[in-house]
Amino acid sequence: MTTVALLGNPNTGKTTLFNELTDKYAYVGNWTGVTVEKKVGQIRHSHTQVIDLPGVYSLNPITKDESVVTNYLLQNSPDLILNVTNASQLKRNLLLSVEVLELGVPVIITLNMIDDLKRSGHFYDLKTLSDKLGCPVRTSNARNKEGLTQLKADLVCDQSEIQPDSPLKLAYPMMVKQAIRQAAESLTNDYKIDNKFAHWLAIQYINNNKVVRKYALKHQLKPLLSQKAYYDAQKFADQIFETRLSFIEATLSAATEQLQSTKHVALTSKIDKVVTHPIFGLPIFVGIFYLMFKLSFDWVGTPISTQLDKLLSGPISHWANQFLTQVGALPMLRSLIVNGLIAGVGGVLVFIPQIFVLFACISILEDSGYMARAALVTDRIMEMIGLNGKAFIPLIIGFGCNVTGIMAARTIEQPKERLITTLISPFMSCSARLPIYSLFVAALFPRHQALIVLSLYFLGIVVALLMAKFYHVMFKAKEHSVFIVELPQYHIPRLDIVWHGTWDKGKGFIKKAGTIIFAGTVLIWLLSNFGTRGYVTQIDQSFAANLGKVLLPVFKPIGISTWQPISALLTGVLAKEVISSSMMVLFHTSNQGALIAMIGGSFTALSAYALLVFILLYIPCFATIGTIKSETGSAKWAAYSVVSSLFISYSLAFLIFQIGSLLT
Amino acid sequence: MKHFMIKQFNGLDYATTQRLHSLGLQVGSEILAVRFYPFHGPVIIQADHQRIGIRYQVFQQLTGGDAS
Amino acid sequence: MGLLVNIIIFAAIFGFAGYQIFRAVKRSKQGKCAACDYDCEAKKLLNQSKKRSL
Repeated sequence: MTTVALLGNPNTGKTTLFNELTDKYAYVGNWTGVTVEKKVGQIRHSHTQVIDLPGVYSLNPITKDESVVTNYLLQNSPDLILNVTNASQLKRNLLLSVEVLELGVPVIITLNMIDDLKRSGHFYDLKTLSDKLGCPVRTSNARNKEGLTQLKADLVCDQSEIQPDSPLKLAYPMMVKQAIRQAAESLTNDYKIDNKFAHWLAIQYINNNKVVRKYALKHQLKPLLSQKAYYDAQKFADQIFETRLSFIEATLSAATEQLQSTKHVALTSKIDKVVTHPIFGLPIFVGIFYLMFKLSFDWVGTPISTQLDKLLSGPISHWANQFLTQVGALPMLRSLIVNGLIAGVGGVLVFIPQIFVLFACISILEDSGYMARAALVTDRIMEMIGLNGKAFIPLIIGFGCNVTGIMAARTIEQPKERLITTLISPFMSCSARLPIYSLFVAALFPRHQALIVLSLYFLGIVVALLMAKFYHVMFKAKEHSVFIVELPQYHIPRLDIVWHGTWDKGKGFIKKAGTIIFAGTVLIWLLSNFGTRGYVTQIDQSFAANLGKVLLPVFKPIGISTWQPISALLTGVLAKEVISSSMMVLFHTSNQGALIAMIGGSFTALSAYALLVFILLYIPCFATIGTIKSETGSAKWAAYSVVSSLFISYSLAFLIFQIGSLLT
Repeated sequence: MKHFMIKQFNGLDYATTQRLHSLGLQVGSEILAVRFYPFHGPVIIQADHQRIGIRYQVFQQLTGGDAS
Repeated sequence: MGLLVNIIIFAAIFGFAGYQIFRAVKRSKQGKCAACDYDCEAKKLLNQSKKRSL
């Protein structure tokens, strides 16, 4: 088995390349930090395994996801490294390449996105590059599948065929060179570390690489530890950087070729003139989101969803009922399957169109490169609350699922900002909450569906931002925020990538329908059909009703006057989708239309809105709680998140309902 | 659009300096200020055909305080 | 006979549902990777290495 590691700067098309090379596809986006953990795939018909690592600017990590790469190189030794570079930004891409080449593992460099380079009117002589860098250099354009056959042939070869490269040796200043040599020698002699690796370790240590310094401390590498003060006092790190940069500049100027000046397509600048406009940037951002919700709720999603529901509640339920009667199923079993599972699980599945349309929109935004601009136009607002525009991206991803949103917060540089972003992520309205919004807006706000849902999303954002400000003051975060965001070239979104992104985000939803939503529905069916006296036919005597009625006084002040929604809220902690399926079971309805009518009867517009706000903000689902625990490394934060969100949601719903009641 | 030259990295924190270095910026690099956001919001700069958004304060530090 | 089949179906549905709830609670305790529904290759490798070390 040959192992190839894909390594490169963020946004160089590594993940697209990975998906083209291997059977498995990973998640792709046109902005920094899409890959936050490493992914592994296999090249078709071969024994070559490819590992996709998160994009990094250098091996010296600033963020949590970047340290994945350095740790990988410290602990594993891949047979080959494929260094993916963005051809039109070779200068800074090579800064990383140099660090990798110094490791001495065989490297192939590919100049990816080669079409962007050609369009800019110049090209590089590959042979010169290859000679100077001491490794093969290829060109590719993963988006159009150019140059992939060659790359694949390079990667699919036996371990024995890969030629051991000697590490790249740069002409560092005398003093630095001497320090590296001395440290490497004693590491090799005293610690039996492979000479090439020792050399690399020494350079990285001197260059103030935090992960390598930790590694040295852990393994008590005395030759390095004892010289630390000397290295730092002499500013060796700066000298290393300067040497590398001048090496790269020399290499590039030797290799640059001017092409016949081609027509310069300034698509990116043209779009950017509009969407990053100093004044209209923010309204455009809001407009794009409004359009997204219009598409999901008014134009495409809801009509399809209504048709699905008709099919499910009409022919399918009818047919299942008949079939079960014929085969002699007990009434109880029939009730479980038809009123419980088909109505409940099916009732959630009919929301697939809305959710997929929303995910498709987010995927298009990601693939086109707009996300980085969103970070930019929102930065000024985020700065006020002590975060930066980049924190906005995990929050937007949180619209899909809070778990992935929290994971994406790893790309944030400052630990405190990361913690704050993690804590506010659950306030972002994830897709699981969509079905319940849809039901309520259809019942009580039929003419302003998209607007009401959008207002909930924005309320989620506003609460998240206010809490962020609160935490910022509480934690006394004084660290400076690092806000440096690259604005990639726009791409015309490619259909298959958008589809993959949509499917990747959406398939969890379908899978959950078969697992946790199924389980939640069965649970609520049990609770609503059994009472203290065993199987009950009157739902009013069931456990669910008892439980709901006990808690009713607590929920009265926020406008809930029936027990059904309360029982449904309790099951919602399993997964937020379960709320809608529970409502379906508890109101004893078999189709959406009937449930909507029921909701319309037992809620007013005001109490419905208060309930939706409560649902938006109350306890995160199990999966999110678990992720908060593991990402913050403490159960206390997870518990805190549960308590605080319950408190906030209740107070806000209370205020909305009470003030609203006074006004009307 | 206005041309600037990076004069210094003094006064910036370690992480910011390192990230800017990784993007290939150093003392003496030519940068083009493409866009300023109101209320001292972020600045879009361009260097070596790449556009980067940075904070206004960082921009000021880099160019030695002569930002308009 | 019919009763037996009924009981078996009931048992299957409840068994599956119970198992899913149990799993959700357990997974949320492990957090992060386990809480994610996507069975990615990295996760498979992780599980393999766990098995090997046992």
